[in-house]
This record gives sequence, C-alpha cells and structure tokens, in this order.
Amino acid sequence: MSRFRIKDQHMWAFFVLPGTLLLVLVLAFPASQSLLYSIYPEGGGSFFTLANYSTLWGDAVFRQVFGNTVLFVALSVGSHLLLGLGVALVLNQEIFAQPLFRLIALLPWVVPDVVAGIIWKWMFDPVYGAINDLLIKAGLIGTHVQWLANPRLTLLSVIFVNLWRGFPFVMLILLAGLQSIPRVLYEAAAIDGASRWELFLRITLPSLKKMLAVALALDIVWEVRRFGLIQAMTQGGPGNMTEVLSTYIYKQYFQFFRFEYASAVAVVMTIALLLVSLPYIWMISREE
Amino acid sequence: MVQEQKGRWFSSTETYGFLLLVSLFAIFPFIWMVSTSLKTEAEAFRVPPTWIPLKPNVDAYISMWVKKSFGLYFLNSTIISLFTAVLSTFFGALAGYGFSRFFFKGRRFLIGFFLATQMLPGVLLVGPYFKILSKLGLYDTRTGLVIAFLTICLPFSTWMMKGFIDRVPDVLDQAALVDGCSRFGVFFRVILPISAPGMVATIIFAFLLAWGDLLWVICLTSTESMITVTLGIARTVGEFQIMWPMLMAGALLGGMPAIILYLLLQRLLVQGMTAGAVKE
Repeated sequence: MSRFRIKDQHMWAFFVLPGTLLLVLVLAFPASQSLLYSIYPEGGGSFFTLANYSTLWGDAVFRQVFGNTVLFVALSVGSHLLLGLGVALVLNQEIFAQPLFRLIALLPWVVPDVVAGIIWKWMFDPVYGAINDLLIKAGLIGTHVQWLANPRLTLLSVIFVNLWRGFPFVMLILLAGLQSIPRVLYEAAAIDGASRWELFLRITLPSLKKMLAVALALDIVWEVRRFGLIQAMTQGGPGNMTEVLSTYIYKQYFQFFRFEYASAVAVVMTIALLLVSLPYIWMISREE
Repeated sequence: MVQEQKGRWFSSTETYGFLLLVSLFAIFPFIWMVSTSLKTEAEAFRVPPTWIPLKPNVDAYISMWVKKSFGLYFLNSTIISLFTAVLSTFFGALAGYGFSRFFFKGRRFLIGFFLATQMLPGVLLVGPYFKILSKLGLYDTRTGLVIAFLTICLPFSTWMMKGFIDRVPDVLDQAALVDGCSRFGVFFRVILPISAPGMVATIIFAFLLAWGDLLWVICLTSTESMITVTLGIARTVGEFQIMWPMLMAGALLGGMPAIILYLLLQRLLVQGMTAGAVKE
C-alpha cells in the first residue's frame, strides 16, 4: 500500500487502544475466567485439575451433543451454500424485478432466530400446523407426522428450519461476488464455444473462491454458536436429540449449576471454533 | 450462446419458476404468522387449520399488551439495543479509523485479536458474566446487558466502520492536517460526517444484533421487569397452553424492527456487510 505517511503515526494508540482495552475488559478477561473455572474441581477443592476435561471425555451425553453439533453445522452450512449459490446465480441474470426477489429472499435472515424458531414450531405442530395440513392435502402423507417429537425427525426438522433462516446471507455475499465478475470473461469464453457448464466451472467458481471461503468461515462460526433457534423450537429435546453445544452448556450452567464442568465444555467448544476460523483470521489480517 | 451474451444462464421458465418457489419458501412462514395472529384462540385450534382467518380480528395484539407485558419487553429491548449500538459504533469508528489510517507495529496482531474475538462463542462468557455482574450489582440490570452486548457488537462495528472509512480517500485527511487540523479534528470534522451513512448502517446493524439475542438475556436477567422481546417470546414456549395467536402477534412485532430497518437501508447494509467480510 502506498500511503503517504505523516509524522503523527504514534496517534494510532488514541484511536485503537480504547476499543482494544474495552474488548480486553469485557471479552478477554471473562474468557480467561472461564479457562480458570474449567481447571477447578467440581464442588470446590484444590486448584488445577484436568478432571473436568476427563469427565467430559467419558461423558456419553457430551459425545452425543458434540455429534449433534457437527451434524447440525455440516448440514446447515452445506445446504446454505447450495441454495445460496443457486439463488445467487439465478438472481445475477438480467431479470424482471430483481430487487424485489432479492428482498423477499432476504426476509428469513433478518428476523431474530428466536422468531424464526417460534414460527416454524407452530408450522410443525402435528395437528394444528400448516405443514402437515399441506402435506396431507397434497396426498404426500397419510397421518399427522410428529416433526419435532419423533426422535428420528427432530434434528432434521430443526436443520431444515435453519436452512430457511440461513441461506439468504450466503446468497447475498455470493451475489455481490457474481456481480463483480467482468462480463467480458464470459463473452470471450462463449465465443470460443464454451458450454454453460464449462463457463460455470472455469469462470464462475474460480472467481467466487474467496467469497465462498468467507461465507463458509463465517457461517460455520455462526451455526456452531446458534442458540435461539433451537431454544425456541425444542430446547434441546426430546431426550437430547437436538441438544447442541450451546444449549448444552447453557443448561449445565444455569439449570444444573455445574460451573466448572460447563466451563470445560465451553473451552473445548471455543478451541474448536478458533481452529476452524484460524485460516480465515490469517487470510483477512494479512490483507488488511 | 446468444443467451449468455444477454446475461441469461437459464431459460425464462427455469428462472422464474425457481424464483417463485424460493420466494414462496421464504415468505410462506411469514404469511402463516400473520394469518395466525389475526385468528381467535378458538380458531387457531381448528382441525384442519384454516388458512385465511374466518373473522380477522386484532384481539391477539391487544391481549399481548394486557395479558403479557409485551410493551415493557419492547421498551427494554429498545433501550438496551440503542445504548449498545451507539456505544459500540463510537468505539468501533475510533478503532476502525486507527486501523484504516495508521500502520504501526503490532497492527496485524491487533487486527487478528479483533477478528478472533468475533469468533468466541457467547456460552464461553455467560458463566463469568453471571458471577462478575452479580458482584458488581449489575446482574439483572439493563446496564449489565449493554456491557454484555458490547462483546457481540464491538468487533462487528469496528470491522464495518473500517470498511466504510477505507473508502474515504486519505488525501482528505492530509489536506485537513496541512490546514492545521489535529488528528481528532480530522476524525470528528472530516471522517465522521463523510461516513455518516456508514455510521447509520453500523448503528442499525449493532442494534439488530443486540435486539435479536436470546442467550445473554436468558442468562443475565431474572425478573419480569428486565425481560426483552426475544426472551418474552422464548418463555411463552415453555408454558403449558401456548396461546398461538398472541405469540404470533408478538413474533411479528418482534421481527418488525429488523424487517423495516432492512427494507429502508438494504443497500447500505449489504455494502457494510460485504465491506467487512468481503473485499471486492
């Protein structure tokens, strides 16, 4: 970067430090406290033990919750990328009323996830809900399906709702990416006789690589942390079928008051999140 | 081939068929919510359900205020989100300007720090917050929640503001400095006024982040008088007999600020989001 530098470079401190100190105070300090709790034994006692970590390692429920989280995140993010890319590609054409379609497609993402969860909980109601009514009228199902009570369906139902809620963000980012691809690239390739599939593979996808990486990283982080949607729909039930790390940790803290154990789970979750987002942090901090 | 040159990848039927399906998918739950909110309690429990209310009425919207204190919930959400948004945008603008204009030692490390804090899960912090705020006498207060929400909003605000300030040419700073303006003069009298639309977008984004949160509110409040809209909605779910029309009315109004603000400022927000997350 060729920026003209004036001799008041030391002034950076006055701008950057207030926010930095605030973040240390409200974020880094409490985070370090969690780290501390996690190495205290449950129910008091001497300092420093890895007992909480070995407890969670051997805890079948924790393993199930971890598995649920992985499945929830993988399917949510995967489906967001597929549908988001599809809608972005279609919207990137010269079409009638593009802003209107974009606006409608954006709606699910703008409302709080608690609101999204509660609407769909009501839609999924076996007897009074819209989904079963629709499917029965269409002749697709014969009886009322228990979308949120049937252990086999419940996690998939929640993931489906999360598909609805989350695809617009990916669409938005990818649409911005698509719009910045120079049209001449396509025209040149089309003259050379490239098919539309080849255009997609050779021009569109490579040009979107960075946008896709960003969308992927941010979406993974957000879906790992998702709380309100699940809390509103199932509160982690039935059994532990839809329990994910964030709802599980919340319960350990505020329903069972196992502070030390909950902290250990939260620390593990945080390490996993930071590992996943490290390439993203590296990439962005190098560029800025 | 002719189609590609016109900027069309798919046929009209494919395009509009797909868009229609996606739009229906996106909007149907909202229609169902509005429809339910206009029903009576009795009609909401009809089998099979009615799609259009037989006798549309606003009873649900009235009982929201009378039977539950949704008015108070809205007031709490608004106050808390507003304070959070303004504070985090102010500190975010300062830091954003610093990162945008100065190239100092440790800059990359600090940028990495801001980015990393954006990745921390709230559940890592709610436990310590519960204890710390209790000690300070700030548990179950609006102030406590504002402090907590800064953790979510400040990294985002910094990032968005940096994106907006990056677009303001550096020459303007230099011109003002040469004219004898101090750095803070440059910041307050040149940069902030020029990036006012960006600030508005950042304030709104932070506002909506705070408005939509459930985790912190559920962990850091205990009395009815501190409940926010999202918690009001989430609590109703646990009740024995859910009054769906009222709950849908609450959900509609709870989602309304977000919908309206996005409608008004869609372009700016998209710009801000992509400026922060994505470089073109």
